[in-house]
Amino acid sequence: MEIIEQIKTNKLIDNPTDIQKICLDKLQSRPLPNPKSELWRLSNKSKFSNFLNYSVNEKVRNSDISYPFNSQNIIRITIGDNSQISLVEENYSIQQLSENKVNAYIKEQISCFDQNDNWSDLLNLSLSCTKNILGLKINGSKIPPIEIFSHASSNSLKAKTLVIFLEKNCDIELLQVNLGKENSSLSQSTFFCLEENSSVNHGVVSYGENKSNLLNSLNVIQQKNSEYNLGSLHFKFNYARFEIRIKQATGSAKTNIKGMQITKKDEQISTYTKIDFNGPNGFLDQINKSLADDKSHAIFEGSIIVPKIAQKTDASQLSRNLLLSNLAQIDTKPQLEIIADDVKCKHGATISQLNEEELFYMRTRGITLPEASKLQLSSYFQEIISFIPVSKNRWDLLDKLLNEN
Amino acid sequence: MQSKMKESDPILEVENLFASTDNLPILKGVSLTVFPGEIHAIMGRNGCGKSTLSKIIAGHPSYNITNGDIKFSGENINSLEPEERAQSGIFLGFQYPIEIPGVSNLEFLRVSTNARRKFLNKEELDTFDFEELVKEKLELVKMDHAFLSRSVNQGFSGGEKKRNEILQMALLEPKIAILDETDSGLDIDALRIVASGIKKISNAQTGIILITHYQRLLDEIEPNYVHVMADGQIIKTGGSDLALELEKKGYEWTDNFVKET
Repeated sequence: MEIIEQIKTNKLIDNPTDIQKICLDKLQSRPLPNPKSELWRLSNKSKFSNFLNYSVNEKVRNSDISYPFNSQNIIRITIGDNSQISLVEENYSIQQLSENKVNAYIKEQISCFDQNDNWSDLLNLSLSCTKNILGLKINGSKIPPIEIFSHASSNSLKAKTLVIFLEKNCDIELLQVNLGKENSSLSQSTFFCLEENSSVNHGVVSYGENKSNLLNSLNVIQQKNSEYNLGSLHFKFNYARFEIRIKQATGSAKTNIKGMQITKKDEQISTYTKIDFNGPNGFLDQINKSLADDKSHAIFEGSIIVPKIAQKTDASQLSRNLLLSNLAQIDTKPQLEIIADDVKCKHGATISQLNEEELFYMRTRGITLPEASKLQLSSYFQEIISFIPVSKNRWDLLDKLLNEN
Repeated sequence: MQSKMKESDPILEVENLFASTDNLPILKGVSLTVFPGEIHAIMGRNGCGKSTLSKIIAGHPSYNITNGDIKFSGENINSLEPEERAQSGIFLGFQYPIEIPGVSNLEFLRVSTNARRKFLNKEELDTFDFEELVKEKLELVKMDHAFLSRSVNQGFSGGEKKRNEILQMALLEPKIAILDETDSGLDIDALRIVASGIKKISNAQTGIILITHYQRLLDEIEPNYVHVMADGQIIKTGGSDLALELEKKGYEWTDNFVKET
């Protein structure tokens, strides 16, 4: 693990920024996450090592990623692109935050980090150069859908950081796309701050190519009466982790999450979620789906924390999993930690195979077994895909998934 | 009673069929022959093997044929996949039609219809042509066009599900249709609609097997033969009067029958 050695010997970054210095200092004391912790115990060690084996200081080259054709109605932003963002229209504005403001916010966040829980963020912020940290302040209404891209080119490790402030009463649709080229590692950390009465439909779509890796961390803070809807999809990574931490800072906020991970071959993709209710009348509805085929491994660990202050919380967390092969593995662990005594919380997990009666029904109508399986999978995917904003038509996600399976 | 019909070759021949699931014998020597234009009714207590027989004819992978043959149009189909049987013209109407969330009914019907049409060397239909065809067939079962945009059977009432089965039968134009308790859960009006649909679809080239518990379906569609099943066998065969007698006397009446066929 070349990077870890460089962190230990302080040779990772020439001329580190303040943020990089803070994070590298923290990492030097414990360069790797604790392999015995809940968050990391199932992580495949050799795949994780592979994540860290790519060079950070790779020369800048032209993008080897092809995006779908851009529509006039969509605002497209690529993290790491040098252009300054400032869109001020009659009803809304999207403005890039100054370096000082972004750094101040990130430093505040780092001060609350847990060395182990936020290891992915610490690594990300150690590696992200100023150019690859994008901060946006968004306000207003009738904002066109936004697409934000991060990608890692072949034979490189890239770190991208996104900070978004959604101001009061603001309402957006945002699709974040993380793409990994063959033999690459992408570290993406996102910090989302939703002010009172704001609302976001947030899509996170991450897909890679042969032997690509991803560490994707999402940190959301919701103020009163805000609504955060997340639809996520992760597939085709040799190794990927999606870590979601959501804090309803003062309660009375709504969170809806529909996520899915699809693993094939010997891939390992995991989702970790921590939803922290820090006030009364919070709401959560979460479904996480995994589909594991071949010799792959899918992991879901969800945690809902309801302290005494969070009375009248209404939270539901469901993990639904499809195991398509005898050699595939699924680990799932939805958990509740409840101190408050007046709450409605439920959680559950199911692991099953393709429904044989549904398959038989379709076959008795002349539909072949592969076609019937495809139709059944499409119905399994549909619930999640229809929750991902912006993507529905332009990204052909369903086709991508069905052709993969 | 049936001499005219038997001038042609049988559509379906079930010959001394034994079948099991998880090593548990279910069918214990069933024989049944259906000629074009014939309507057969199979009656019997719950668990006697009626539905299993229908599923085995349709090719359900959970059942093993341990002895005997199923012949369709003279060809042994024991080893054919369910889709191959369906494409060649065997239709099973389900007692409990399966819900498939997320799959549009229209697309499901179109894919099914095209699979059958491909087998018949007919041109496959694109969405527009299929919509025209399905509109015409919807009328047969008095279904609203809105059902097509919903997921297959999801949120359908019991009657709507059964009508959707008959709609599928109308689109697939099978050579033989096995309708497993199509009348269960239907109110009188829905039963008439379904029965009328079945009558309109069936013709002199089609065979129909009705699996039912009740005379009321047979009042609408008069069978040429009524078979009574018990413990995995057909223990008595008669005309439509047998069903009337069963209705009066109940299945206890059949307990003392010896196997007749």
